[in-house]
Amino acid sequence: MPMFRSRALAGALSVGLLATACGAATTPAASGTAVQVALSDAGCRPTPATVPGGPVTFTVTGSGSGAVTEAELQKDGKILGEKENITAGIDGTFALRLDAGTYSMYCPGAKQDTWAFTVSGAAAQTAAAQTAAAADLTDATATYHDYVVAEVSALTTATKAFTDAVRAGDITKAKALYAPARVHYESIEPVAESFGNLDPDIDARIDDVADPTTWTGFHRIEKALWDPGQGADNSLAGMTPMANKLDADVATLKGKVATTTYQPAELANGASDLLTEVSTTKVTGEEDRYSHTDLWDFAANIAGAREAFELLKPALAAKDAALAQQLDARFTDVTAGLAKYAQGGGFVDYTGVSGADRRTLAQSVNALAEPLSQVAGKVV
Amino acid sequence: MPLSRRRLLGGVGLAGAGLAVAGCAPASAAAADTVPFYGAHQAGISTDAQDRLAFAAFDVTSTSRADLVALLQTWTAAAEAMTRGAAVPGDSTSQEVPPADTGEAAGLSAAKLTVTVGFGPGLFDGRFGLAPRRPAVLTSLPALPRDDLDPTRSGGDIAIQACSDDPQVAFHAIRNLARLGRGTVVTRWTQLGFGRTSSTGKGQATPRNLMGFKDGTRNITSDDTAALDQHVWVSDGSWMSGGSYLVARRIRMFVEPWDRDRLGDQNAVFGRDKATGAPLTGRTEFDTPDFHATNADGSPVIPIDAHIRLAAHENHDGLRILRRGYSFTDGTDPATGDLDAGLFFVSYQSDPAAFVTLQRTLGTGDALNEYIRHTGSALFACPPGPGGAGEHWGQALFT
Repeated sequence: MPMFRSRALAGALSVGLLATACGAATTPAASGTAVQVALSDAGCRPTPATVPGGPVTFTVTGSGSGAVTEAELQKDGKILGEKENITAGIDGTFALRLDAGTYSMYCPGAKQDTWAFTVSGAAAQTAAAQTAAAADLTDATATYHDYVVAEVSALTTATKAFTDAVRAGDITKAKALYAPARVHYESIEPVAESFGNLDPDIDARIDDVADPTTWTGFHRIEKALWDPGQGADNSLAGMTPMANKLDADVATLKGKVATTTYQPAELANGASDLLTEVSTTKVTGEEDRYSHTDLWDFAANIAGAREAFELLKPALAAKDAALAQQLDARFTDVTAGLAKYAQGGGFVDYTGVSGADRRTLAQSVNALAEPLSQVAGKVV
Repeated sequence: MPLSRRRLLGGVGLAGAGLAVAGCAPASAAAADTVPFYGAHQAGISTDAQDRLAFAAFDVTSTSRADLVALLQTWTAAAEAMTRGAAVPGDSTSQEVPPADTGEAAGLSAAKLTVTVGFGPGLFDGRFGLAPRRPAVLTSLPALPRDDLDPTRSGGDIAIQACSDDPQVAFHAIRNLARLGRGTVVTRWTQLGFGRTSSTGKGQATPRNLMGFKDGTRNITSDDTAALDQHVWVSDGSWMSGGSYLVARRIRMFVEPWDRDRLGDQNAVFGRDKATGAPLTGRTEFDTPDFHATNADGSPVIPIDAHIRLAAHENHDGLRILRRGYSFTDGTDPATGDLDAGLFFVSYQSDPAAFVTLQRTLGTGDALNEYIRHTGSALFACPPGPGGAGEHWGQALFT
């Protein structure tokens, strides 16, 4: 599941029904200049049509036959903010920080679909603010690069401690160091997945490989430590080559991430991919089927997704404050749900988590993942 | 385009007329394939029973009343669109975000889709400030004779009943509403029904249940407005006026032993003839059963424990309910390997007490009990229909 599939980074974006619904519930008190946009078959005239620069909250109200259901604020053909699924009686708002310039309110399907909207103020500020918005995203991607580099650096150190114990044949110590090493991988896994065979070499499960005799990585050693096979005693015999290869693969990863750069949408999609990892392999208990340390990986996936989200948040909040606020709340829900299972510096054995409790965790991840899937459309 | 059209219409009159007819046909076919969403009552209750069912019960996880209202607004808009055969509103073309609609109903007609909502007793527990609005009759159903209920197939804060002649269209509705609800609700249980077991339309043939018997012969039909007003619609001036109470019971049938029961006994269990559907005292399906008729030896022709005797309104002071159930199968029973199949019983009534009264009688005396077991149960208050665009499900409850 490579993170960075090539994507057409089109300007189109969707608020989606969910965001509309929950946005209505969580939108904070409108601040800045209020602009009413009455949607009808005839058009979407903004009132007032000229406002001073700064925060502007658009309230879109519906009427008419239902043929016209969305309003978009555009500048130079790029959508800056929008509200969809507006019908009679269902209003929506969106808030933007706008600088001086000429904009247009666009409502596809209306008799007059484009309406002038002007923001007064110094033009110099416009350029400065545009630069600021772009700088937000540039900062985000640069900081994300630094985060990945730091995580892989920590992974290198923690993996070395783990593999040293493996080479020394110290089963107890190796077991204790297994999960703490992996968390630095799980937090940035979608990045690692973009480098060909590196992810399978480091993180494949036994059923991921066509030929089990070529199986390498963390989970190969996990099996030796916890479940060496029928009748066999736990043993690290023969694991030194595996330990050496794991170190080498992590070193390769470290070299690659040093020069990798990211697009804002990649941060968002990577965060979504991390939640897919949680839903498909952590909640099910497949990831660490011998050690049952799944919750360590679960928490690391969430932490990695949150890192990406936090970096995008300033740019996201400027475009869709309600979505940013909703995601904040849902990240907090998931983290709070996980905290119930914290033990020592990590987490309880996953086999001790009941079916009903696993279901609750899965549902909280779904509740987060659904709005998170809308972020990429906002930050392109 | 305009040129060729003019040429067709002007130059070749016959072909032009043919084209016009062809052009109109899909539109009228589509209209005949849809059930109006708006109205005094929700669609999907007295609506002629469609062939397939997808049913879901949800629990509300958010504690915010605003979230709940927003969800009902979103759901109403999405359900209204789907019942027109349209996609869930929103962007389904942008490459950067997931499509608003999941897509599996694209290209399919609405196939008479109806989507009906109901509110469970739990919704009125104080989380959302609705406790004062709880109808007195909306409490969990009392324990009933022979109940063997699985809590994971029972209860729920909100129910969605989706019925359509196309199973994929019904499933699509449930799936998309569940998705739109993420973060506000979680799915508690779902049930698919593959074939209707009741007729609610005057012209509809009576279907057979999985025991092979015609079911719903004496049901309340959509044209019987007097019976609907008397037995189905609530009319108490409250927010529920125009609504109805939905009872759902998952009734497992032990089809293997049933299939080994001799025909004479099967007929006696129901009180009807399996082939014709006629009561044992009549010749055709719609003959009125004569519960007083006796055999030469003085025993009743329709046995004292026959299903139709115990369910009959004649024996319950005229009490009637509107039945709208579906046959289901959920694979095999892991304990026995027997088919896990039966009737997902759905009834609508103006007071849940009607069902309770009937089930108290049936649960204790029905000869059918040897072959069935009630494994799931739920009660929901279905509000009146949204009157028109802009009104959401249950709006009167929240204002």
